[in-house]
Amino acid sequence: MSAGPQKTGSFRDGVCLPFLRDSQNQDGGWGYQLRSESRTEATSWAVIALQNIPQSGRSDPWAEALDRGTEWLLSAQLPDGSWPSHRSGNRGCWCTSLALLALKSRAADGKAAAKAREWLLGTWPAEGGIWWRLRNRLRSDPGLVRQNLALRGWGWTPGTSSWVEPTSYALLALEGYPENSSRSLRERRRLGEAMLLDRMCPGGGWNNGNPRVYGVAGEPAVGPTVWALLALRRERSRPEVERSLTWLSDWLSATPDRGQGPASIALASICLETLGRSAAPPEPALKECYDANQFLTNVLTFAWATMALTPECGWPACGGLST
Amino acid sequence: MSISDQPLLLPSARPASRVAIRQVGSYETDLSAIILETLLEFRLPVSGKTVLLKPNLVGLDPGLVIDTHPAVIAAAREAFLRLGAARVLVGDGPAVERDFEAVAESVRLREALGPLAGILIDLNLDDPRRVALRTRASNLRELYLPASVLQADFVVSLPKLKTHHWAGVTLSLKNMFGIVPGGCYGWPKNILHWAGITNAILDIASTLRTDFAIVDGIVGMEGNGPIQGQPKPCGVLVLGDDPVAVDATCTRVMGLRPERVEHLAKASRLLGHLDEEKIQQIGEAIARVRTPFAVVDQFTHLVASSVSRPS
Repeated sequence: MSAGPQKTGSFRDGVCLPFLRDSQNQDGGWGYQLRSESRTEATSWAVIALQNIPQSGRSDPWAEALDRGTEWLLSAQLPDGSWPSHRSGNRGCWCTSLALLALKSRAADGKAAAKAREWLLGTWPAEGGIWWRLRNRLRSDPGLVRQNLALRGWGWTPGTSSWVEPTSYALLALEGYPENSSRSLRERRRLGEAMLLDRMCPGGGWNNGNPRVYGVAGEPAVGPTVWALLALRRERSRPEVERSLTWLSDWLSATPDRGQGPASIALASICLETLGRSAAPPEPALKECYDANQFLTNVLTFAWATMALTPECGWPACGGLST
Repeated sequence: MSISDQPLLLPSARPASRVAIRQVGSYETDLSAIILETLLEFRLPVSGKTVLLKPNLVGLDPGLVIDTHPAVIAAAREAFLRLGAARVLVGDGPAVERDFEAVAESVRLREALGPLAGILIDLNLDDPRRVALRTRASNLRELYLPASVLQADFVVSLPKLKTHHWAGVTLSLKNMFGIVPGGCYGWPKNILHWAGITNAILDIASTLRTDFAIVDGIVGMEGNGPIQGQPKPCGVLVLGDDPVAVDATCTRVMGLRPERVEHLAKASRLLGHLDEEKIQQIGEAIARVRTPFAVVDQFTHLVASSVSRPS
């Protein structure tokens, strides 16, 4: 990529989309970075971003890239219905939710998606085991971290604990399926949403650690806050959700001195737009970041920037997901 | 390749280690000259090589109290380039913040290093390679590790001098948790917690060669580290080619007992020296720079009895 955005056309059309086009690998997938190996997460977000570009003419200029990306995802699925984070991996992980989201965005909701859904519903975090709970009850230090361990969501990888982001991804991936279709779907949603609310930082927002350690309130972070808010859209009227939304809105309008990277700016914009909060258009801030570091050629950042700069799409409502 | 092929030796079979303590008043000092002078004493084989600096960029840090200070990172990079390294890359994989560019910008790394593209590597997103672990302290047996780390000729751990609410202290050994890719294991890398922090530190340290350590103790962190503690001015850089000895020295500087830090005690059996008599001190004496660090209640047993603990 050449440094600096193009002078003609929008930043999305002049910089983000060409980057996504040029960074697709020969095998159809996308790596996390330019010229890196195809990965499930990067491919999923690139597919979702490109799928949501409104078509201006009769033909879809991204059809072939999307077909190849979807094929890569389908070929990377493991026999148990899950996806590893990378091709040589042999165990499913949080990327399963993202691949399912991508397939749903393409309305490719067939057998592969059904198997992925079953894997998600049948995969529990490690803290659910009886022995673990017993040991934790005997050993835990109540002053250390405070959270309700009975509220189980999803972990990043099998055999580990529930965390905010993978739980949010799973809830988003499971959206749109009728509740009466499965008791386990109903139960997992209930537990997952309750777990997210339990893990909220005291002042609103979420982080990737614990909301409170040794009595000290954790600082919220943009990424987990965005995903949790999107996953909790059904709970939009709750005051704590509103508080978190306000935190996110304040963060986006604060001075850039607080570490506003382009990925965070794009995600915050997507979330605020989706949840109906007004926010400044993200393009100037994203262009400034691009001029500084070219987004460090991070494919996720380009994909999220593309989505943030396509507000008419109403992500993630389009592509078959219901709000 | 940075996979370790060094023999795992009992302390009695290993030659003494050398650790340098440099007293540094502030980050405005000519840090590059201090680091270069010390590196020359160690005669490091870096000419024409690719060096990877692994700082501790654990999270957003606009106040410059959590992460390795950008002035130290830039000074170390300059020193290795002046020693003849062909390339000096900077890489980390933050455990809880996915927006690596935001972390770098929050500490103004671009102002210190210049343009980041091509220098700064997000190890969380690097291409992963399956590596069999050399020891079985944990039940992990193997890990995916970033290709950029494995391909580096010379790996430098560049942590900040901090207490840690799970591990007691976080120094050059614990700092290497950051190479484990979030892109494979998530944010945080919870698989390492389930494997046991101490054991995972040992398995990573025995498998991946950390050729040198430079600890930023100019301003450290005490109390509820590694993120929520308080800044602690200590005025030192601690450097050496035995990460265990460097960490043991740092722990003593902090007024703590390294033999009571579980991962240091275990690491000293096969990976490096903990015993003060086996560590040749260069530069300042520990006693001259000792600065007692506060610890959370769970780690009061680390406090050396001869050191008065800060309130």
